[in-house]
Amino acid sequence: MGRFRDNKYNKPGLMLFVDEISHKHQQRRDEEDESDQYHYYQRPKQVRMESIETLVANIIGLSEGKTTQLHTLLKQSEDSIQNMASQLGQSLDQLDPEKHSLGYLFLLEAYLSTPAAKEQAELIPSVARFINSCVAEQIRLEPRKFTYICKTFTDVVVQRQVPIMGVAPLRIAVRKLQPSSEHLTALHSEFLLVCLLAKCYKTGYSILKDDIFEVDQPRNLFLYCYYGGMICIGQKQFRRAIQLLHNVVTAPMQSLNCITVEAYKKYILVNLIQNGQFSATFPKYASSAAQRSLKHFSQPYLDLATSYSTGKIAELESCVATHREKFESDTNLGLVNQVVTSLYKRNIQRLTQTYLTLSLQDIANTVQLNTPKEAEMRVLQMIEDGEIFATINQKDGMVSFLEDPEQYKSCEMIESIDTSIQRIMSLSKKLNSVHEVISCDPAYLGKAERHRNQRFEMDDFDNVPQRFNM
Amino acid sequence: MDFSPLKEAIEAKSYEKIADICDELMLQVTSQGIAYQEEWPYAIHLLGHIYVKDINSARFLWKLIPSNVKENQLEVVAAWKIGQNLWLRDYAGVYEAIRGFNWSPEAQGLVNSFSEIYTNRMFQLLLSAYSTISIKDTALFLGMSEEEATNYAAKQGWLVDSASGMLIVKKQPVVKEQKLDHTKLQRLTEYVFHLEH
Repeated sequence: MGRFRDNKYNKPGLMLFVDEISHKHQQRRDEEDESDQYHYYQRPKQVRMESIETLVANIIGLSEGKTTQLHTLLKQSEDSIQNMASQLGQSLDQLDPEKHSLGYLFLLEAYLSTPAAKEQAELIPSVARFINSCVAEQIRLEPRKFTYICKTFTDVVVQRQVPIMGVAPLRIAVRKLQPSSEHLTALHSEFLLVCLLAKCYKTGYSILKDDIFEVDQPRNLFLYCYYGGMICIGQKQFRRAIQLLHNVVTAPMQSLNCITVEAYKKYILVNLIQNGQFSATFPKYASSAAQRSLKHFSQPYLDLATSYSTGKIAELESCVATHREKFESDTNLGLVNQVVTSLYKRNIQRLTQTYLTLSLQDIANTVQLNTPKEAEMRVLQMIEDGEIFATINQKDGMVSFLEDPEQYKSCEMIESIDTSIQRIMSLSKKLNSVHEVISCDPAYLGKAERHRNQRFEMDDFDNVPQRFNM
Repeated sequence: MDFSPLKEAIEAKSYEKIADICDELMLQVTSQGIAYQEEWPYAIHLLGHIYVKDINSARFLWKLIPSNVKENQLEVVAAWKIGQNLWLRDYAGVYEAIRGFNWSPEAQGLVNSFSEIYTNRMFQLLLSAYSTISIKDTALFLGMSEEEATNYAAKQGWLVDSASGMLIVKKQPVVKEQKLDHTKLQRLTEYVFHLEH
């Protein structure tokens, strides 16, 4: 199982991939070089660059209009740039991050790989300045280098315990790196991590409004969805949190990772809060790794779901007491407490299905609240939040439960149905185009062919998704 | 630090913009490495979140405030007191928190305006949630004396049942726009087209 990033500031709840944490930056960079198949290129013949001065002069000279030429030259001189990495600090001052973005990118990347650079006091503002002013078209020529710079930047702000300094620059970095808002980048999760640590939930949430359709690296998706889920939980956007955590739990994976385990725990809790129930059955498209062993790691949470389903507060509370330490060490106790509160609501909601009117005293008795006044306050809060429709009659001490007054004929409602339909329409178009791409994919066709020959008919592959949430 | 957009918003009474302005400004100054905590207008920032009913953000901001600021700036604590009562849904406590502090001139307008909105919101809540409610509770919810509350409610057509000390709530029919224009028809055509293809 997982280890945590080895600095004190990091909360135990925020976990990263084991491989990713324990490696030093240089290794991390090499690893990306190898794994990043999308940007793989043959290393060009190395040219010896005579001095830093020549290099800087070349960058300045070629930056205007001759970007392709400069790019080739820089790639050819990568080794010599690396060799003079430690002296690059001053050369960077001679360059303008906006005019000479590409050259700046190469030099900054090399410079940051030296240990001395990370100690430098002015590092954060100067990298922030580069991120702010660099030109998106230029840095996108070398996405790996830009990603490396931003990840190092994240590490430094986290280590120095000033995560808030990273929020604004990383938000810009994500936007500059992604070709469109549908693309997930390696920086999404870095940005969300910094937002969580800096408690800038609202800012983090702003990026989660985009629907993501393009993912290059699976691990980006895992972390993005996990941190994103946590941001949504902080913002009490439980529906969206469930969607994101669901993506982690059901994502394709060869072997279980600790991000998924932590996501699954939160997934259970948020489902209880939002929907009042949790079904431990996995959808068919979940990986077999998750189906096999996920439950094994989250038994206390499944116990909680079972006791929740009895509807008895006492039972739920004793379950919480039994597993308290586990919940606390998982930093999920706050969420667990929200689960308990939600059971009161759930029980009141259940009453509305049976009764038309009920006295406050009876509500207090059935839902196990101490006084009628407490019952009145709970009911009032639920009315305020639109969770039930009822009127309280203080004079008689009665509550009348009403039907939902929405008649689905106001302009507002039509507007909202309209937007839903349009979202679904664009989604279905998207799905069709993905379907077309897959139908032409030789790998898929080969596999489908083999299966068909064995025993399946194509119809068996047409799994209908269980439910769409609008 | 350039607080002019914030000052402009306060002067123009565009209080709903304050939270966003403060959030952005804070992210900008921190990324430039400027030490901001000593002179940051935390009270206004908190009230800005409270004004737009974003208690989550107010709570997270409160957690970020350094302890020396919490000890030395009474207004920051007072502003959070409002947020805390909203968070706990201590409806009457909100008014106590508003009245319990002598607000600075910059905060006063914002607090007054919030107080008005809050009273209004509470009245709408009572309207939708109660059929009868005691005068005493009404006064607590609206942050008024019992007499003021009775008058306030009477203006909205509520009746007093003096025998029981209760107010009888008069529901107001909610008027909602139901008219459709031809663009809707156009869209419906598009939907049918989509479904058929």
